[in-house]
Amino acid sequence: MRYLPSSPAEDRALLDTIGVARAEDLLSGIPEGLRLNRDLDLPTQGSEQEVAWQMLDLANKNRRFCAQFLGAGAYDHFVPAAIDAMVSRQEWFTAYTPYQPEISQGTLQHIFEYQTLICDLTGLDVTNASLYDGGTACVETALMAVRVQKKRHTVLVSRGLHPLYREVLKTAFAPHQDLHLVEVGLKDGVTDAADLQAKLNEDVAAVLVGYPNFLGAVEDLTALAGPVHAAGALLVSVTQEALAFGWLEAPGKVGADMACGEAMSFGNRPTFGGPYLGFLAVKDAHKREIPGRVVGQTRDLDGKTGYVLTLTAREQHIRRDKATSNICSNQGLVTLRANLFLQLAGPEGLKGLAEQNVAKAQHLRQRLLDLPDMEPVFEAPFFNEFVLRYKGDMAALQEACFAESLLPGLDLGRFYPEYQGCLLWCATELHTRRMIESLVEILARVPATV
Amino acid sequence: MFLRQREPLSFERSVPGKRGMDLPKLDVPAAKDTRPAHLKRSGFEALPELSEVEVIRHFTRLSKWNYGVDDGIYPLGSCTMKHNPRLNEKVAGLPGFTDSHPMAPDALVQGNLELLYTLQEWLKEITGLPGVTLQPSAGAAGELTGVMLIRAYHVAHGAKRRVILIPDSGHGTNPATAAMAGYEVVELPSRPDGTISFEDVTDPVNGKVRKGLKTLVNELGAEIAGAMITNPNTVGVFEHRFKEISDLLHSVGALVYMDGANMNALVGVARPGDFGVDVMHLNLHKTFSTPHGGGGPGAGPVCVGEKLLPFLPVPVVVRDTVKVGEGEVPKHTYHWDWNRPQSIGKVHTFFGNFGILVRALAYCLSHGSDGLREATLRAIVNANYIRARLKGAYALHIDSPSLHEVVFSDTLQAKHDVHTLDIAKRLIDHGYHPPTIYFPLIVPGALMIEPTESEDKGELDAFCDTLLAIAKEVEADPEALHQAPTLAPMRRMDETTAARKPVLRWTKG
Repeated sequence: MRYLPSSPAEDRALLDTIGVARAEDLLSGIPEGLRLNRDLDLPTQGSEQEVAWQMLDLANKNRRFCAQFLGAGAYDHFVPAAIDAMVSRQEWFTAYTPYQPEISQGTLQHIFEYQTLICDLTGLDVTNASLYDGGTACVETALMAVRVQKKRHTVLVSRGLHPLYREVLKTAFAPHQDLHLVEVGLKDGVTDAADLQAKLNEDVAAVLVGYPNFLGAVEDLTALAGPVHAAGALLVSVTQEALAFGWLEAPGKVGADMACGEAMSFGNRPTFGGPYLGFLAVKDAHKREIPGRVVGQTRDLDGKTGYVLTLTAREQHIRRDKATSNICSNQGLVTLRANLFLQLAGPEGLKGLAEQNVAKAQHLRQRLLDLPDMEPVFEAPFFNEFVLRYKGDMAALQEACFAESLLPGLDLGRFYPEYQGCLLWCATELHTRRMIESLVEILARVPATV
Repeated sequence: MFLRQREPLSFERSVPGKRGMDLPKLDVPAAKDTRPAHLKRSGFEALPELSEVEVIRHFTRLSKWNYGVDDGIYPLGSCTMKHNPRLNEKVAGLPGFTDSHPMAPDALVQGNLELLYTLQEWLKEITGLPGVTLQPSAGAAGELTGVMLIRAYHVAHGAKRRVILIPDSGHGTNPATAAMAGYEVVELPSRPDGTISFEDVTDPVNGKVRKGLKTLVNELGAEIAGAMITNPNTVGVFEHRFKEISDLLHSVGALVYMDGANMNALVGVARPGDFGVDVMHLNLHKTFSTPHGGGGPGAGPVCVGEKLLPFLPVPVVVRDTVKVGEGEVPKHTYHWDWNRPQSIGKVHTFFGNFGILVRALAYCLSHGSDGLREATLRAIVNANYIRARLKGAYALHIDSPSLHEVVFSDTLQAKHDVHTLDIAKRLIDHGYHPPTIYFPLIVPGALMIEPTESEDKGELDAFCDTLLAIAKEVEADPEALHQAPTLAPMRRMDETTAARKPVLRWTKG
């Protein structure tokens, strides 16, 4: 076994020092009746070459596409080569959580920089060293909101939030019979202001709204903040496509009290849904209630500036059942990818990239609307995703796209019965005019409804 | 290994006009500005302007202040810092995996589904449990999923139970998880050997009586939803009465959760499903060698017994057998089953940290049944070798046979006013990452060492020689240890001010 370094002679020497004849003798602490007295019923070890081929075979069983016009929480963006090269340095990817600051300054300073950038993008004061993904970030944010807002037990969730984030929220809230999740409906693709007003009351701790929402539409946070704050609730923006921060104002500057969501778009590939990057940013007043690891700046005995894990009195290893969350591992290496991406992009790169996404999505929408079977559903401003109704045969459209190795937009009927027959389309900087034209050509040839 | 110069924050290096990313030429009409005026991005306060060269150098310099598994032994107990095979990194980067979209129809991602199904089959056989979900992103996420499964089971059986029992030696994530799932935590006391006490325990200092497992089960009975037990426990000792514990809990209808953080001691040697475990999590970033990445991403699959199968998170990957002619090899296809009415729901937006799951399967295929068992035995031999060599120089607070890790106490050194923290910091001067310190809480001044199977005799000897030399230094020059580390890039950090007056981001000015 190539990963086990001791030679038989060395092994012998180890056992002699311990004073046992065989390694099995060290299992004496496990009662004999509880031991496995047979080999595991699994294949035996594989050489590197054999395993490489087996894994390649699996990868090849996935269909490959020339272009994916599908976003819905998992976005196809270009990843600069510098990112893969940097994260493959062992000092980054094989290190543990930075418990010993004197030999973990690399990770700690990186997280401090990452925290600074998340605060910059969201316009808020404090963030943590990351959460698992967009859905679980919503959970931590909602639970934090009810902690901060003592004696309030209801969280309002816009129907415009990613449907799978809403599913994850539902799961996490189920054990808490004193807490309630209530849905706020949509009107013209955005959160229905009248329905929101009707559901706001003194038990509402927070309101979660997509920014942009799952349907791609830009919610007017400023307009929503008025009634939400008047009711004493917190406004939480949930961003599933963090690249939109290059185009949309920081949520903290337009009324959001907390911002959370998914930042996989910064330097990651879709990778079948993970590992991604959950984030959460809050105002300074709430910093001692934030879940997860937080890095702070300090000095060493000689007065040199350095970084440590801090505010640990909130955390599970100190507070046990009184902790703000049970989170321990986070998405460490994914934060490094995001930090690298953002530092490479800089303010101009991020804005330029975001503008390109808007331009591509607007062009895609225009070209699709040139087809007789496509029609608009609502006219809200959008970032890189939008909804169109398809009057033709949805299955035929999909088959036609697959046959030409294109992945079309999401069939919304699966999540929104009211949008049956509608598709959620996405275009990013990766979608060239030619790809868009191919898609339009293919769709123009889809046979009419049977 | 360490550069002595300081690397400033990248924000302090920012110079207007520099770019590290060029954009492709826009081949469609420029975007129309459709935003409401007040939602137009006003600007950025921190995002730096740097070239690619500077970004690469910045992060390369920062990386040199880290310690990784490739630098040498990384003996963090309970963290299982083993070698991260490069093949696993390579296959996880195959475009067939990284380009695949989580919302793509099942028929187009058959490779991914087969991979997940296959990994589940391995984990089932390894744990002896018939059901698996791969969704949880980390150990703590697995714990939460597991406890929610326990809750769903009781609710389905019309019982409202309120208590989870957790030994005082357990990881902090256990009580934090139970609280997050809406349960009250009742602590189980340990016996002097670190295992769970069936009998009441009287504290020798304050005379307080702490109720043992038997009393708690008698008194709380049907209020107990379950117990969360780490096995082997956090002192590396197998709970030798585990089956009795399970039977006792089952007798009042409670379920048994096993924290699998220490599964590296059991793979191929013993299976939790064979000693009464109903639900457990595995840490793929520990036992199955996926990298820790400076804190993550990990993966914390949850394995369950028959009773909990109906409650597993959606979706569940299912294998279908395609009918073939007689004598032909059966063909399989795979699909997600979303229609599971008793499921607790989703615990991750998509299907978990897929890229980590790819690495874990590569680990399994490389080791095979024989390699997995051999790795376990070698991890146990390595830990016991360290135990044998350091015993005497450092106090073994608990003398029971231990498996994959060994926990010393600082009681011998404390006589010279040198404590665990000092020893840990001196190890840094010698070029080692320290072990886990001050955990578990039941061992005074704990030094918890887990070498894993990845170390050969030479590495183990060098590490032990260093710790023995430090023990001598404690006697000769205790003050020197209070000053440690002196050779690292930083000396001891002021953590008190960091927490009292937190500076959590850079600001201009």
